Amino acid sequence: SIMSYNGGVVIAMKGKGCVAIAADRRLGVRGHTVAMDFQKIFEMGPHLYVGLPGLATDTITVAQRLKFRLNMYELRENRRITPKTFASVVANLLYERRFGPYFVEPVIAGIDTKTGEPYICNTDLIGCLNEPDDFVVSGTCVEQAFGMCEALWEPDLEPLDLFETISQALVNAFDRDAMSGWGAVVHVIEKDKVTVRTVKTRMD
Amino acid sequence: MSRRYDSRTTIFSPEGRLYQVEYAMEAISNAGAAIGVLAKDGVVLAAEKRVTSKLLATTKSTEKMYKIDDHVAVAVAGIMADANILINTARLQAQRYTLAYQEPMPVEQLVQSLCDTKQGYTQFGGLRPFGVSFLFAGYDNNFGFQLYMSDPSGNYGGWKAGAIGANNQAAQSMLKQDYKGDISREEAVQLALKVLSKTMDSTTLSSEKLELAEISLSPLGDVKYQVCSADDLNKLLVKFGITQPTEES
Repeated sequence: SIMSYNGGVVIAMKGKGCVAIAADRRLGVRGHTVAMDFQKIFEMGPHLYVGLPGLATDTITVAQRLKFRLNMYELRENRRITPKTFASVVANLLYERRFGPYFVEPVIAGIDTKTGEPYICNTDLIGCLNEPDDFVVSGTCVEQAFGMCEALWEPDLEPLDLFETISQALVNAFDRDAMSGWGAVVHVIEKDKVTVRTVKTRMD
Repeated sequence: MSRRYDSRTTIFSPEGRLYQVEYAMEAISNAGAAIGVLAKDGVVLAAEKRVTSKLLATTKSTEKMYKIDDHVAVAVAGIMADANILINTARLQAQRYTLAYQEPMPVEQLVQSLCDTKQGYTQFGGLRPFGVSFLFAGYDNNFGFQLYMSDPSGNYGGWKAGAIGANNQAAQSMLKQDYKGDISREEAVQLALKVLSKTMDSTTLSSEKLELAEISLSPLGDVKYQVCSADDLNKLLVKFGITQPTEES
Protein backbone atom coordinates (compact mmCIF):
# COMPACT_ATOMS: atom_id res chain seq x y z
CA SER A 1 0.00 0.00 0.00
CA ILE A 2 1.24 3.45 -0.87
CA MET A 3 0.61 4.93 2.57
CA SER A 4 2.89 2.34 4.20
CA TYR A 5 5.67 2.40 1.61
CA ASN A 6 7.92 4.70 3.62
CA GLY A 7 6.39 4.15 7.07
CA GLY A 8 6.03 6.64 9.89
CA VAL A 9 3.71 7.90 12.59
CA VAL A 10 2.76 11.28 14.04
CA ILE A 11 0.74 11.99 17.20
CA ALA A 12 -0.48 15.28 18.67
CA MET A 13 -2.06 15.89 22.08
CA LYS A 14 -3.73 18.77 23.89
CA GLY A 15 -2.65 19.79 27.35
CA LYS A 16 -3.32 22.66 29.76
CA GLY A 17 -2.49 25.76 27.74
CA CYS A 18 -0.09 23.71 25.63
CA VAL A 19 0.02 21.19 22.80
CA ALA A 20 2.56 18.54 21.90
CA ILE A 21 3.31 16.95 18.54
CA ALA A 22 5.60 13.98 18.14
CA ALA A 23 6.83 11.79 15.30
CA ASP A 24 9.16 8.91 14.65
CA ARG A 25 12.26 9.47 12.55
CA ARG A 26 12.36 6.47 10.24
CA LEU A 27 12.45 6.66 6.48
CA GLY A 28 12.22 3.25 4.84
CA VAL A 29 11.73 1.72 1.41
CA ARG A 30 9.29 -1.07 2.22
CA GLY A 31 11.25 -3.07 4.79
CA HIS A 32 14.63 -1.48 4.24
CA THR A 33 15.42 1.43 6.58
CA VAL A 34 17.17 4.18 4.68
CA ALA A 35 17.33 7.09 7.15
CA MET A 36 16.90 7.64 10.89
CA ASP A 37 16.74 11.42 10.78
CA PHE A 38 13.89 12.04 8.39
CA GLN A 39 11.92 15.16 9.32
CA LYS A 40 8.15 14.74 9.39
CA ILE A 41 7.18 17.73 11.54
CA PHE A 42 7.54 21.18 10.05
CA GLU A 43 7.32 24.60 11.65
CA MET A 44 4.74 26.83 10.01
CA GLY A 45 4.78 29.62 12.55
CA PRO A 46 6.30 30.30 15.95
CA HIS A 47 3.52 28.29 17.62
CA LEU A 48 2.20 26.21 14.74
CA TYR A 49 3.51 22.85 13.58
CA VAL A 50 2.32 20.35 11.02
CA GLY A 51 3.24 16.67 10.91
CA LEU A 52 3.02 14.88 7.56
CA PRO A 53 3.20 11.10 7.78
CA GLY A 54 2.75 9.05 4.63
CA LEU A 55 4.61 8.90 1.35
CA ALA A 56 7.91 10.69 1.97
CA THR A 57 8.05 12.57 -1.32
CA ASP A 58 4.62 13.99 -0.61
CA THR A 59 5.69 14.83 2.95
CA ILE A 60 8.39 17.09 1.52
CA THR A 61 6.30 18.50 -1.32
CA VAL A 62 3.23 19.27 0.78
CA ALA A 63 5.41 20.98 3.40
CA GLN A 64 6.97 23.17 0.69
CA ARG A 65 3.63 24.02 -0.92
CA LEU A 66 2.12 24.84 2.45
CA LYS A 67 5.00 27.21 3.17
CA PHE A 68 4.25 28.94 -0.15
CA ARG A 69 0.63 29.53 0.79
CA LEU A 70 1.55 30.50 4.30
CA ASN A 71 4.08 33.10 3.13
CA MET A 72 1.54 34.64 0.74
CA TYR A 73 -1.02 34.74 3.55
CA GLU A 74 1.34 36.48 5.97
CA LEU A 75 2.46 39.01 3.37
CA ARG A 76 -1.10 39.93 2.40
CA GLU A 77 -2.65 39.89 5.87
CA ASN A 78 0.40 41.31 7.62
CA ARG A 79 -0.08 38.93 10.55
CA ARG A 80 0.57 35.35 11.62
CA ILE A 81 -1.96 32.69 10.67
CA THR A 82 -4.10 31.05 13.38
CA PRO A 83 -4.03 27.24 13.70
CA LYS A 84 -7.69 26.90 12.77
CA THR A 85 -7.26 28.91 9.58
CA PHE A 86 -4.10 26.99 8.73
CA ALA A 87 -6.05 23.76 9.04
CA SER A 88 -8.39 25.08 6.37
CA VAL A 89 -5.43 25.93 4.14
CA VAL A 90 -4.18 22.35 4.50
CA ALA A 91 -7.60 20.87 3.80
CA ASN A 92 -7.99 23.07 0.73
CA LEU A 93 -4.58 22.15 -0.64
CA LEU A 94 -5.36 18.45 -0.29
CA TYR A 95 -8.87 18.61 -1.74
CA GLU A 96 -7.54 20.42 -4.83
CA ARG A 97 -5.98 17.05 -5.62
CA ARG A 98 -9.18 15.12 -4.91
CA PHE A 99 -8.72 12.69 -7.81
CA GLY A 100 -4.94 12.33 -7.70
CA PRO A 101 -4.17 12.97 -4.05
CA TYR A 102 -1.05 13.63 -2.04
CA PHE A 103 -0.42 10.51 0.04
CA VAL A 104 -0.08 12.24 3.38
CA GLU A 105 -2.50 12.47 6.30
CA PRO A 106 -1.46 15.63 8.11
CA VAL A 107 -1.56 16.35 11.83
CA ILE A 108 -1.69 19.99 12.91
CA ALA A 109 -0.82 21.30 16.38
CA GLY A 110 -0.58 24.89 17.52
CA ILE A 111 -1.56 27.59 19.94
CA ASP A 112 -3.60 30.60 18.87
CA THR A 113 -1.29 33.37 20.07
CA LYS A 114 -4.14 35.85 20.54
CA THR A 115 -6.32 33.70 22.78
CA GLY A 116 -3.79 31.20 24.12
CA GLU A 117 -6.16 28.41 23.08
CA PRO A 118 -4.46 25.11 22.18
CA TYR A 119 -5.55 23.51 18.90
CA ILE A 120 -5.00 20.12 17.32
CA CYS A 121 -6.54 18.47 14.31
CA ASN A 122 -5.85 15.95 11.59
CA THR A 123 -7.11 15.37 8.09
CA ASP A 124 -7.33 12.44 5.73
CA LEU A 125 -5.46 12.48 2.45
CA ILE A 126 -8.20 14.44 0.69
CA GLY A 127 -8.69 17.11 3.31
CA CYS A 128 -11.46 15.99 5.66
CA LEU A 129 -10.86 17.85 8.92
CA ASN A 130 -11.19 16.19 12.29
CA GLU A 131 -10.93 18.44 15.37
CA PRO A 132 -11.16 16.42 18.60
CA ASP A 133 -10.52 17.74 22.09
CA ASP A 134 -7.96 15.19 23.16
CA PHE A 135 -5.46 13.71 20.70
CA VAL A 136 -4.92 12.91 17.04
CA VAL A 137 -2.87 10.17 15.38
CA SER A 138 -1.80 9.41 11.82
CA GLY A 139 0.54 6.98 10.09
CA THR A 140 1.24 3.27 9.71
CA CYS A 141 0.50 2.29 13.31
CA VAL A 142 -2.68 4.26 13.98
CA GLU A 143 -4.38 1.35 15.74
CA GLN A 144 -1.52 0.97 18.20
CA ALA A 145 -1.28 4.75 18.58
CA PHE A 146 -5.01 5.11 19.26
CA GLY A 147 -4.79 2.39 21.90
CA MET A 148 -1.80 4.00 23.64
CA CYS A 149 -3.28 7.50 23.58
CA GLU A 150 -6.68 6.36 24.82
CA ALA A 151 -5.01 4.60 27.71
CA LEU A 152 -2.51 7.30 28.71
CA TRP A 153 -4.17 10.63 27.90
CA GLU A 154 -6.03 12.65 30.46
CA PRO A 155 -7.23 16.24 30.22
CA ASP A 156 -5.29 19.28 31.45
CA LEU A 157 -1.81 17.84 31.54
CA GLU A 158 0.97 20.32 32.30
CA PRO A 159 3.71 20.70 29.63
CA LEU A 160 6.22 18.35 31.28
CA ASP A 161 3.56 15.73 32.00
CA LEU A 162 2.24 16.08 28.47
CA PHE A 163 5.76 15.44 27.18
CA GLU A 164 6.00 12.23 29.18
CA THR A 165 2.55 11.08 28.10
CA ILE A 166 2.99 11.73 24.39
CA SER A 167 6.48 10.23 24.36
CA GLN A 168 5.33 6.99 26.01
CA ALA A 169 2.29 6.79 23.75
CA LEU A 170 4.36 7.28 20.60
CA VAL A 171 7.28 5.03 21.48
CA ASN A 172 5.20 2.11 22.70
CA ALA A 173 2.94 2.39 19.65
CA PHE A 174 5.71 2.40 17.07
CA ASP A 175 7.60 -0.35 18.88
CA ARG A 176 4.73 -2.62 17.76
CA ASP A 177 5.12 -1.54 14.12
CA ALA A 178 7.86 -2.70 11.81
CA MET A 179 7.58 0.34 9.55
CA SER A 180 7.92 3.05 12.21
CA GLY A 181 10.44 3.91 14.87
CA TRP A 182 14.20 4.39 14.78
CA GLY A 183 14.08 7.40 17.10
CA ALA A 184 11.46 9.99 18.04
CA VAL A 185 11.23 13.77 18.12
CA VAL A 186 8.77 15.62 20.36
CA HIS A 187 7.78 19.29 20.21
CA VAL A 188 6.00 20.79 23.22
CA ILE A 189 4.39 24.11 22.32
CA GLU A 190 3.46 26.54 25.07
CA LYS A 191 2.19 30.09 24.82
CA ASP A 192 5.65 31.59 25.13
CA LYS A 193 8.07 28.88 24.10
CA VAL A 194 8.57 25.69 22.16
CA THR A 195 10.74 22.84 23.47
CA VAL A 196 12.06 20.21 21.09
CA ARG A 197 13.40 16.95 22.46
CA THR A 198 14.68 13.79 20.80
CA VAL A 199 13.84 10.56 22.60
CA LYS A 200 16.20 7.61 22.87
CA THR A 201 14.34 4.55 21.63
CA ARG A 202 15.17 1.05 20.53
CA MET A 203 16.69 1.34 17.08
CA ASP A 204 14.90 -1.36 15.21
CA MET B 1 1.74 66.68 -32.28
CA SER B 2 1.43 63.05 -33.30
CA ARG B 3 -1.84 62.45 -31.46
CA ARG B 4 -2.75 59.61 -33.74
CA TYR B 5 -0.05 57.42 -32.12
CA ASP B 6 -1.26 57.87 -28.51
CA SER B 7 -4.16 55.61 -28.30
CA ARG B 8 -2.48 52.22 -28.62
CA THR B 9 0.38 51.07 -26.45
CA THR B 10 1.53 48.60 -29.01
CA ILE B 11 2.66 50.94 -31.76
CA PHE B 12 5.64 53.22 -32.07
CA SER B 13 5.37 56.84 -33.07
CA PRO B 14 7.38 57.98 -36.13
CA GLU B 15 10.00 59.39 -33.75
CA GLY B 16 10.34 55.97 -32.18
CA ARG B 17 8.52 56.77 -28.95
CA LEU B 18 5.87 54.87 -27.03
CA TYR B 19 3.46 57.58 -25.98
CA GLN B 20 1.41 55.47 -23.58
CA VAL B 21 4.54 54.61 -21.63
CA GLU B 22 5.51 58.26 -21.47
CA TYR B 23 2.04 59.27 -20.32
CA ALA B 24 2.28 56.61 -17.62
CA MET B 25 5.51 58.23 -16.42
CA GLU B 26 3.67 61.57 -16.35
CA ALA B 27 1.12 60.06 -13.98
CA ILE B 28 3.93 59.00 -11.68
CA SER B 29 5.60 62.39 -11.62
CA ASN B 30 2.53 63.69 -9.82
CA ALA B 31 2.66 61.05 -7.12
CA GLY B 32 4.45 61.15 -3.76
CA ALA B 33 8.23 60.90 -3.94
CA ALA B 34 10.29 57.92 -2.81
CA ILE B 35 14.05 57.76 -2.35
CA GLY B 36 16.38 54.81 -1.96
CA VAL B 37 20.00 54.85 -0.80
CA LEU B 38 22.42 51.92 -0.77
CA ALA B 39 24.76 51.62 2.23
CA LYS B 40 27.47 49.08 2.85
CA ASP B 41 25.46 47.39 5.62
CA GLY B 42 21.95 47.89 4.30
CA VAL B 43 19.50 49.67 2.03
CA VAL B 44 17.30 52.57 3.08
CA LEU B 45 13.93 53.51 1.57
CA ALA B 46 12.21 56.79 2.43
CA ALA B 47 8.92 58.00 1.00
CA GLU B 48 6.55 60.91 1.16
CA LYS B 49 2.98 60.15 2.09
CA ARG B 50 0.36 62.14 0.26
CA VAL B 51 -1.99 62.36 3.20
CA THR B 52 -5.12 63.84 1.77
CA SER B 53 -7.41 63.92 4.74
CA LYS B 54 -7.26 63.35 8.46
CA LEU B 55 -10.45 61.32 8.10
CA LEU B 56 -8.44 58.67 6.31
CA ALA B 57 -8.35 55.54 8.45
CA THR B 58 -5.42 53.51 7.21
CA THR B 59 -5.85 49.80 7.78
CA LYS B 60 -2.44 48.88 6.44
CA SER B 61 0.64 49.77 8.40
CA THR B 62 2.43 51.39 5.48
CA GLU B 63 1.21 53.25 2.44
CA LYS B 64 4.24 53.25 0.17
CA MET B 65 6.50 50.46 1.38
CA TYR B 66 5.71 46.80 0.90
CA LYS B 67 7.46 43.58 1.73
CA ILE B 68 7.76 41.26 -1.25
CA ASP B 69 9.61 38.46 0.54
CA ASP B 70 11.71 38.24 3.67
CA HIS B 71 14.73 39.63 1.83
CA VAL B 72 13.16 42.15 -0.60
CA ALA B 73 10.98 45.24 -0.10
CA VAL B 74 9.72 47.93 -2.46
CA ALA B 75 8.80 51.59 -2.32
CA VAL B 76 6.05 52.61 -4.71
CA ALA B 77 5.28 55.76 -6.69
CA GLY B 78 2.29 56.14 -8.95
CA ILE B 79 -1.20 54.68 -9.23
CA MET B 80 -1.74 52.61 -6.06
CA ALA B 81 -4.28 50.31 -7.65
CA ASP B 82 -1.76 49.32 -10.32
CA ALA B 83 0.91 48.94 -7.67
CA ASN B 84 -1.19 46.47 -5.67
CA ILE B 85 -1.49 44.15 -8.66
CA LEU B 86 2.24 44.25 -9.33
CA ILE B 87 3.14 43.75 -5.68
CA ASN B 88 0.98 40.65 -5.55
CA THR B 89 2.58 39.39 -8.77
CA ALA B 90 6.04 39.99 -7.35
CA ARG B 91 5.15 38.13 -4.15
CA LEU B 92 3.90 35.13 -6.13
CA GLN B 93 7.02 35.12 -8.31
CA ALA B 94 9.27 35.14 -5.25
CA GLN B 95 7.32 32.26 -3.68
CA ARG B 96 7.34 30.21 -6.89
CA TYR B 97 11.13 30.53 -7.05
CA THR B 98 11.44 29.45 -3.43
CA LEU B 99 9.14 26.49 -4.06
CA ALA B 100 11.24 25.32 -7.00
CA TYR B 101 14.73 26.03 -5.66
CA GLN B 102 14.19 26.07 -1.87
CA GLU B 103 16.17 29.29 -1.56
CA PRO B 104 15.32 33.00 -1.66
CA MET B 105 14.98 34.50 -5.13
CA PRO B 106 17.99 36.65 -6.13
CA VAL B 107 16.99 40.31 -6.11
CA GLU B 108 17.89 41.06 -9.70
CA GLN B 109 15.94 38.07 -10.95
CA LEU B 110 12.88 39.23 -9.06
CA VAL B 111 13.21 42.73 -10.49
CA GLN B 112 13.71 41.32 -13.96
CA SER B 113 10.72 39.04 -13.64
CA LEU B 114 8.46 41.90 -12.57
CA CYS B 115 9.83 44.15 -15.30
CA ASP B 116 9.11 41.41 -17.85
CA THR B 117 5.49 41.56 -16.73
CA LYS B 118 5.46 45.35 -17.11
CA GLN B 119 7.07 45.11 -20.55
CA GLY B 120 4.36 42.74 -21.70
CA TYR B 121 1.84 45.54 -21.31
CA THR B 122 3.82 47.71 -23.71
CA GLN B 123 4.03 45.20 -26.50
CA PHE B 124 0.91 43.04 -26.69
CA GLY B 125 -2.59 42.66 -25.34
CA GLY B 126 -3.75 46.16 -26.14
CA LEU B 127 -3.85 47.01 -22.43
CA ARG B 128 -2.38 50.20 -20.99
CA PRO B 129 0.90 50.07 -19.10
CA PHE B 130 1.05 50.08 -15.29
CA GLY B 131 1.41 53.59 -13.94
CA VAL B 132 3.91 52.63 -11.27
CA SER B 133 7.60 53.04 -10.64
CA PHE B 134 9.34 50.94 -8.02
CA LEU B 135 12.42 51.16 -5.89
CA PHE B 136 13.46 47.62 -4.93
CA ALA B 137 15.67 47.15 -1.89
CA GLY B 138 17.00 43.70 -1.14
CA TYR B 139 19.78 41.34 -0.13
CA ASP B 140 21.01 38.06 -1.53
CA ASN B 141 24.03 35.86 -0.93
CA ASN B 142 25.65 36.49 -4.29
CA PHE B 143 25.60 40.25 -4.57
CA GLY B 144 24.85 41.50 -1.08
CA PHE B 145 22.69 44.59 -0.66
CA GLN B 146 21.17 45.99 -3.83
CA LEU B 147 18.91 48.83 -4.96
CA TYR B 148 16.99 48.79 -8.25
CA MET B 149 14.71 51.31 -9.94
CA SER B 150 12.05 50.33 -12.49
CA ASP B 151 9.58 52.32 -14.55
CA PRO B 152 6.38 51.61 -16.55
CA SER B 153 8.33 50.67 -19.67
CA GLY B 154 9.84 47.69 -17.86
CA ASN B 155 13.32 49.21 -17.88
CA TYR B 156 15.31 48.75 -14.73
CA GLY B 157 18.73 49.64 -13.42
CA GLY B 158 20.83 48.99 -10.35
CA TRP B 159 21.57 52.18 -8.44
CA LYS B 160 23.55 53.40 -5.46
CA ALA B 161 20.88 56.02 -4.82
CA GLY B 162 17.70 56.78 -6.70
CA ALA B 163 14.48 58.76 -6.60
CA ILE B 164 11.04 58.23 -8.11
CA GLY B 165 7.81 60.22 -8.05
CA ALA B 166 7.38 63.96 -7.72
CA ASN B 167 10.51 66.10 -8.19
CA ASN B 168 12.57 63.01 -8.85
CA GLN B 169 15.00 64.83 -11.11
CA ALA B 170 15.78 67.41 -8.46
CA ALA B 171 16.12 64.66 -5.87
CA GLN B 172 18.33 62.60 -8.16
CA SER B 173 20.75 65.47 -8.80
CA MET B 174 20.89 66.26 -5.08
CA LEU B 175 21.69 62.61 -4.37
CA LYS B 176 24.39 62.67 -7.03
CA GLN B 177 26.06 65.61 -5.33
CA ASP B 178 25.86 64.34 -1.77
CA TYR B 179 26.27 60.56 -2.14
CA LYS B 180 29.60 59.15 -1.10
CA GLY B 181 30.49 55.52 -1.59
CA ASP B 182 30.83 53.18 1.44
CA ILE B 183 28.38 55.00 3.71
CA SER B 184 26.86 53.40 6.76
CA ARG B 185 23.14 52.78 7.15
CA GLU B 186 22.75 55.72 9.50
CA GLU B 187 24.41 58.07 7.03
CA ALA B 188 22.19 56.68 4.30
CA VAL B 189 19.10 57.42 6.41
CA GLN B 190 20.36 60.94 6.97
CA LEU B 191 20.96 61.48 3.26
CA ALA B 192 17.58 60.06 2.26
CA LEU B 193 15.65 62.15 4.79
CA LYS B 194 17.59 65.29 3.96
CA VAL B 195 17.00 65.00 0.22
CA LEU B 196 13.37 64.03 0.70
CA SER B 197 12.69 66.99 2.96
CA LYS B 198 14.21 69.39 0.42
CA THR B 199 12.21 68.08 -2.51
CA MET B 200 8.88 67.70 -0.75
CA ASP B 201 6.22 70.30 -1.28
CA SER B 202 5.06 70.73 2.27
CA THR B 203 6.66 73.32 4.50
CA THR B 204 6.27 71.51 7.80
CA LEU B 205 7.73 68.05 8.05
CA SER B 206 6.68 65.41 10.53
CA SER B 207 6.57 61.67 10.75
CA GLU B 208 2.93 61.76 9.62
CA LYS B 209 4.01 62.66 6.12
CA LEU B 210 6.98 60.28 5.88
CA GLU B 211 7.73 56.61 5.84
CA LEU B 212 11.14 55.08 6.42
CA ALA B 213 12.18 51.46 6.00
CA GLU B 214 15.49 49.64 6.06
CA ILE B 215 16.78 46.29 4.85
CA SER B 216 19.69 45.02 6.92
CA LEU B 217 21.25 41.86 8.31
CA SER B 218 20.44 40.77 11.86
CA PRO B 219 23.32 39.60 14.09
CA LEU B 220 22.28 36.00 13.32
CA GLY B 221 22.75 36.60 9.61
CA ASP B 222 19.19 36.70 8.35
CA VAL B 223 17.75 39.60 6.41
CA LYS B 224 15.47 41.99 8.28
CA TYR B 225 12.95 44.41 6.83
CA GLN B 226 12.03 47.07 9.38
CA VAL B 227 9.68 50.01 9.09
CA CYS B 228 10.62 52.91 11.33
CA SER B 229 7.98 53.80 13.92
CA ALA B 230 6.51 57.30 13.98
CA ASP B 231 8.25 58.16 17.28
CA ASP B 232 11.64 56.98 16.10
CA LEU B 233 11.18 58.85 12.85
CA ASN B 234 10.42 62.07 14.71
CA LYS B 235 13.57 61.62 16.78
CA LEU B 236 15.63 61.05 13.64
CA LEU B 237 14.23 64.18 12.00
CA VAL B 238 15.23 66.25 15.04
CA LYS B 239 18.63 64.55 15.25
CA PHE B 240 19.51 65.36 11.66
CA GLY B 241 18.34 68.91 12.05
CA ILE B 242 15.51 68.55 9.57
CA THR B 243 12.84 69.60 12.03
CA GLN B 244 13.12 71.65 15.15
CA PRO B 245 12.47 69.90 18.45
CA THR B 246 9.07 70.71 19.91
CA GLU B 247 9.31 73.51 22.45
CA GLU B 248 8.67 72.43 26.04
CA SER B 249 7.53 75.42 28.01
